[in-house]
Amino acid sequence: MADLSTQNPCGLAQRVATALLRASGGTSACLQMPPLPGDSSDTRQIGLDAPGFLSLPLSPAVFRKARATLQDGQLPKYELLISADAVVAQVAQLKLSSAQALFAQACGVVVAGKLFLIEAVSSSESQGTAYLYRLLLQEATGEWAM
Amino acid sequence: MQNAKDTFYLTLRNRLATVNPARTMTLRSVTRPGILVEDAEAFTAQPQLDAFTLRWTGLAADLHLPAILTQMTCEIHYITAGTQPNAGLDRGRVLERMDYELLQLLYPYMAQKMNYTQSPAAAMSTQVFWSEPEFSPAVTDHDRLSRVAKVTVFAFQEPSES
Repeated sequence: MADLSTQNPCGLAQRVATALLRASGGTSACLQMPPLPGDSSDTRQIGLDAPGFLSLPLSPAVFRKARATLQDGQLPKYELLISADAVVAQVAQLKLSSAQALFAQACGVVVAGKLFLIEAVSSSESQGTAYLYRLLLQEATGEWAM
Repeated sequence: MQNAKDTFYLTLRNRLATVNPARTMTLRSVTRPGILVEDAEAFTAQPQLDAFTLRWTGLAADLHLPAILTQMTCEIHYITAGTQPNAGLDRGRVLERMDYELLQLLYPYMAQKMNYTQSPAAAMSTQVFWSEPEFSPAVTDHDRLSRVAKVTVFAFQEPSES
């Protein structure tokens, strides 16, 4: 049976999540986004030209090492918790349909000048609206500073 | 060798745009034919569905000829979960469609070798040619069906490439 009770989202969970992330030593992370509008040139598709990624800042965010048992030769994994308010603002600015579309287009995340690859994205919701996004990241093998 | 790889990919991509214009994907903000070179794109945790992914693996060279003949193995990976209107129950049919599309993309088994480091791209002196595809058995992973086709790509190393 459907739940027909009235629920009026007031953004409380989003504000609490943002405040909590900020209070927990909130940092800033930058999504590496393809340029808008995209470049359909042949040289970009064969790795000849630099991709010209845009750096999209998201904050507050909390970055921490994921609690995972590592095996020999395996790169460590990290978690990035991002405020939904920050994500919603960027989704609106880029005129994207959803946060999933934003993360699907991202080619990585830069935290403290280091590139990380996005392994998975999940969200926590309250009253049907996301208040926190969690990105599972893996350290990129390349040691270049971003 | 890189010119041969570039030529092979761009030939297949242009043929795909003709063979099945509807097979497109959006990658890096661009909607383009559904074929990509794995090592020229960003890492993704999940493979691109309903698109052909080129992965370059083996390399051999024949040095007993007037010009070096290189043989490169290209694995063409493709994976599908079927279509949304059919709730994925047509994934076998979609994979078969991709098998046939790949056969169409590969024929004829040659192309004029191009140098894409110049703008506009310049035709080179030799051709790139390749073998018929060697299809692996289809692999089922939950609701997804995938296959790999191996093609050996041959190209002469031209003096201007050294």
